[in-house]
Amino acid sequence: MAATDNHAGAGRATPGRATLALAGLCVLVLLAATLEVVLDAAVGHSPLTPGAPGITGWLQWGIGERLGFRVFLIALLCFTGAYAALLVLARRISPHPRAARWSIVLVGTLTVIMCAGPVLFSTDVFSYIAYARMGVLHGLDPYLHGPIRIEHDPIFKYVGEDWLKVATAYGPLYTLLSYPLAVLGLKGAVWGAKVEALAACAGTLALTWRCARARGYDPAVVLVAVGANPLWVLYGLGGAHNDVIMTFFMMAAVALVFSEREAPAGASVVAAGLVKATGAVLLPFILLSRRRLSALWGAVAGLVAIAVISYPVFGLHGLNVISALNRDAALVSTDSFPNELAHLLGKPGVFPADHTLLKVALVAIVVHLLWRTWRGYDWVSASGWTLLAIAVTSTWLLAWYTLWALPLAVVARDRRLLIAVFAVQGLFIVHQIAPLLSPASQ
Amino acid sequence: MSGARSTAGPGGRGERLPERLRPRTQERRGKGDLRRVESTLLVLAFLVLAVAVVNDVVRQVHVNQRITADLLTWRTITGNDLKNISVEQDLTHRTTRDVLCGNTGSGPPGTQPQACLIITGPTVHGMRAAKGGFYLPPYFPDKRENRYACFGTAVSEELCGLPTPPGAPDEPLTNG
Repeated sequence: MAATDNHAGAGRATPGRATLALAGLCVLVLLAATLEVVLDAAVGHSPLTPGAPGITGWLQWGIGERLGFRVFLIALLCFTGAYAALLVLARRISPHPRAARWSIVLVGTLTVIMCAGPVLFSTDVFSYIAYARMGVLHGLDPYLHGPIRIEHDPIFKYVGEDWLKVATAYGPLYTLLSYPLAVLGLKGAVWGAKVEALAACAGTLALTWRCARARGYDPAVVLVAVGANPLWVLYGLGGAHNDVIMTFFMMAAVALVFSEREAPAGASVVAAGLVKATGAVLLPFILLSRRRLSALWGAVAGLVAIAVISYPVFGLHGLNVISALNRDAALVSTDSFPNELAHLLGKPGVFPADHTLLKVALVAIVVHLLWRTWRGYDWVSASGWTLLAIAVTSTWLLAWYTLWALPLAVVARDRRLLIAVFAVQGLFIVHQIAPLLSPASQ
Repeated sequence: MSGARSTAGPGGRGERLPERLRPRTQERRGKGDLRRVESTLLVLAFLVLAVAVVNDVVRQVHVNQRITADLLTWRTITGNDLKNISVEQDLTHRTTRDVLCGNTGSGPPGTQPQACLIITGPTVHGMRAAKGGFYLPPYFPDKRENRYACFGTAVSEELCGLPTPPGAPDEPLTNG
């Protein structure tokens, strides 16, 4: 649905006025919903906008009001509805000669609005900055200590309560990329993290465009499917999450494999994994699909290069991403599917035995996908399924984890993957709507 | 294997590999219809997850409704229109028993003696029944050794472990 064949598109008639008007309406809804969220969030601290160094005073024009659950959820539902309608209309609009330009303008505008606004829904960006300040300004290894060790640093009060004693779970490449933020001051660091997210977003979208072309899909439709996705825009960009940096390196690897450059592709997968460990899942699928060792040598070279740079800074701790994964795997979030299933079965939550069952299920899925890839199944689809399976079986599911598979899904040969990603995102959004159905708090 | 197509033609990539090890542009066909089995499993998984999500939303809505009714009940009984009231819900055992504590006078949360109500049962006209309760001294957490002046069901449940401090409020508060 989100990706249409270029040649098929070329043979279709240009869209009628009604289609264009409807698409225009959808675009207006997307822009209005984004502006509503950003302007309301800029008013000040609310349950949806973490306390933050004041970076959005210039957005306080007196027209917004504190962002509440109801307004946000209505905006999210409107955004999602308009996005879905736009994707349905995409096949009819794509033959228009200006469709590509419009899609770039739309996605660019949404991205810039979101990046110009305050930090939304998560304190993660403040953890990134805290770890950077620990390393650069305080001489502390962020792989050994939590932000609690810099209690007197001005960033400390913005770090989420759950993460105060927790050492960083991110890979050494991301930690190194975040180190320059430390010298920019508080507000400068937040803007710096936003610029990093913006650049990674632009890079991911550009690479997705290129991969779509390589596979014969309409790049304009693919661009909208990723860049105007509600969870991508509102949560991924809204929180300036480093998951977008991971997807950038992942899509770089996909683009490199598509252009038969497996060695740099292997290095790029390693870079993704050294931003966030989950990014590394592409490597076995590339190796099984291409049956060449060049991807492996590239991966080894990438790992050695980053290890050489990061070892003097972090020692071996920086490369021990497995322990960070194990630690996070034990956490439970209210939005995780295992937690919801536990409630359905009458249990108060997820137990240790459930974690084991989930790991077994995930391993079974991955083995099946590896076997299929060996038999010739599309490795991009297999990688996307794996990332989606990790998100679904994780007891610690956050909105931006559902984005990992999205750029792969829009260029995958197996269209079921894209439907599955949308289905999971849809269920995630449905799970958010309880405050909308509850009586207003008194 | 039927349906298998390798990319290694004469002089092509992977031509040195045996036929069965060469990379493929199309997946081998097996005996069964694997795609259909996978699709069926995916649909089933989606249905299970969808039911779980809807169930959880309904559960959350009920919990939120209970909190709203509890807050109104506490404010009505105590005559105190406080914003900061702590709510402890029994979500583990799936009972409807909640304990709400709030200041008996003005001041930041917990800085005054706390009036705590045990609220149970269905919501009627936006409120629920307070079957008992107790008091807590300022700055003390809700533990048995800190509770005093139990009334209603809190007496039979022996929830209090402290005698009433001199001058502290001890008036029973219930509506049920």
